[in-house]
Amino acid sequence: MTRPLKILVLVLALALVGAACGDSEDEAPATTAAPATTAAPATTAASATTAAPTTTMAPEDPVSLIYVSPNPLGVNNFLILGEVGTQRVAERRGGTWKTFESVDDSTRRANIEAAIDEAPDVIVLTTFTLVEMADEYSKANPDQKFIIIDACPEEPAPNLHCGVFREHEGAFLLGVMAGHLSEAKQIGSVVALDIPFFKRWWQSFAEGAQSVDPDIENSVVFIAGDNPFSDPARAKELALSLAAQGPDHIFAVGAGSNGGIFEAAAEAGFLSYGVDVNECPSAPGYIIDNNLKVVDAVVEQLLDQVLDGTAGPVVSFGLSEGGTGVMALQPGLADSQCVIADHPDIVEEVRAVAEGIIDGSIVVNDPLFG
Amino acid sequence: MFDQLFDAALLESVVRAMVPILLAALGGMICERAGVFQIAMEGMMLAGAFAAMAGSYLAVSSGLGIVFGVTAGVLISLMLAFGTVSRQGDPIVLGIALNLMALGLTGFLLPQIFGVRGTFRHERIDGLDRLPIPGLSEIPWIGSVLFDQTILGYLAFLLVPAIWLLLFRTPAGLRLRGVGERPLAAESLGVSPTAYKYGAVIASGVLSGLAGTQLALGNLVLFAEGMSAGRGWVAVVAVMLGRAHPFAVFGASLLFAFAEGLGFRLQGNGLPVQITDALPFLVTLIALIAARKRFARLLDLTTGG
Repeated sequence: MTRPLKILVLVLALALVGAACGDSEDEAPATTAAPATTAAPATTAASATTAAPTTTMAPEDPVSLIYVSPNPLGVNNFLILGEVGTQRVAERRGGTWKTFESVDDSTRRANIEAAIDEAPDVIVLTTFTLVEMADEYSKANPDQKFIIIDACPEEPAPNLHCGVFREHEGAFLLGVMAGHLSEAKQIGSVVALDIPFFKRWWQSFAEGAQSVDPDIENSVVFIAGDNPFSDPARAKELALSLAAQGPDHIFAVGAGSNGGIFEAAAEAGFLSYGVDVNECPSAPGYIIDNNLKVVDAVVEQLLDQVLDGTAGPVVSFGLSEGGTGVMALQPGLADSQCVIADHPDIVEEVRAVAEGIIDGSIVVNDPLFG
Repeated sequence: MFDQLFDAALLESVVRAMVPILLAALGGMICERAGVFQIAMEGMMLAGAFAAMAGSYLAVSSGLGIVFGVTAGVLISLMLAFGTVSRQGDPIVLGIALNLMALGLTGFLLPQIFGVRGTFRHERIDGLDRLPIPGLSEIPWIGSVLFDQTILGYLAFLLVPAIWLLLFRTPAGLRLRGVGERPLAAESLGVSPTAYKYGAVIASGVLSGLAGTQLALGNLVLFAEGMSAGRGWVAVVAVMLGRAHPFAVFGASLLFAFAEGLGFRLQGNGLPVQITDALPFLVTLIALIAARKRFARLLDLTTGG
């Protein structure tokens, strides 16, 4: 028993050392080469736009950005897209970018502190996991600009800008699909918690379906329990029990519990919808589409606004900004493994509704505010 | 409304929810009988679930998944046995520490080995097949509920009478109970309390490992961080409620699973989640009050005798 333990400790230690080294050294040589070639044109362009309103940023400095992810990027699409957005802004403006990947609270703090030490133009943070640290560090370092995506403290400091999503717009589009595709004329949602915030998913989903056919019945069940965001076994039983009562289209709003709902879909033969990223490949044939958060677009736009000095304290992103969406509207639809790709007529309908939401002819209620 | 409440599907769901709880609770019960207060089932179950998934993924074989799941449960149980039996440590402190360790370690190893956080699903993960018993599984209602289980489901049911026989009808069971109730007396008769307590804790490691395996490869075919989600704690309560008696522990596990399954149904029928979520706790309270008289009589017997 001692040998496996030793090996385990060794693995742990190596992994931690590896993570720490990788953070500070990996990206530096690759990215510092970039500004050498593009610095001259980039700075003239930057000074032209920013010199007049503000004098705080030295115009000859190229843009520097640091992205601190709360968890390893791995295959986590949400976090990878945060890096993609950061990289795109840095490359377009001729600057440098780095990514610091964290694994737990202590590495998150160490990474944010290391980022502050380097004093980049903006530090990019993502998700609710980092919201308290974003609040704390932005207040302690008033000269350092931060952005945080998909979360916001109650009273953000003036140097912290939040990018939040209008999730109800994507959920409404999923509802439109369910409205066309549901044969039982009964739809439902399995939702992590019974809190008002999640109405942006299940209530907007129901409203979308009822905009197609007002007779469609909706039901919603909540996972709750000890671990609502990561109890797939409970979510699966709930989904099976919901499906037994009739709904043939069920929206999975359970984050880490969604795997159980998709298993239930395959067993009981209902169709499902995912959240945040394209979840279709995890159960091909049983997931119609997803309520996407297009993180890279939001990071890119919010960074531009902050760098140009036009960002408000909280900026919301919806269909018109390309911040939320569904796979049906994305260029990668054909390879998405989503069921909606087999229904081009409904894709057309959804496109029309999305255009209506963008131009204002269709109004989607925000369930959070009436 | 009520015709939608009770049907075979509800009972199937109840049995699925019960099997992991029952397996873990039977292990906790053996420990309780041997005088070790066991609250590390939650961690053992989670570690078992992770290891079972990993084993099944690496070998594309659910059989190896079972072996891995059991091994993980046993490894943690050895730590518990060493700490509480050999070193006389506080089983509550150690149990909680092991639960936290299992949560942290699986959460750490998931991204290190599989490169994902949160949930890992993969077609390589070989789930436990359901093994319907020909003939019996076609009986309406009971058939699909009882005779269409995974191998671990059948095992859980068979273990209830088997452990009862072992505890109350064999010399080894008598010695185990003696070690738990009167360790000094047992020792004076040449029975080693250490050996029996180690045996009991390791047995609970095996059973909790199987509980985790059933969760990750039977109920589902995936691993999610923290997926034991309190089931180990429900097992702790089932041991207490069942007064460490195999059939009563079985009844308690069934009661909790039934309350949960019924809660899901009631939610589907429009009852608010806040009420259905409280149902298992409500059931526990009612069961405790209803069983109070029997407890009092038992207490009289043990203290007065």
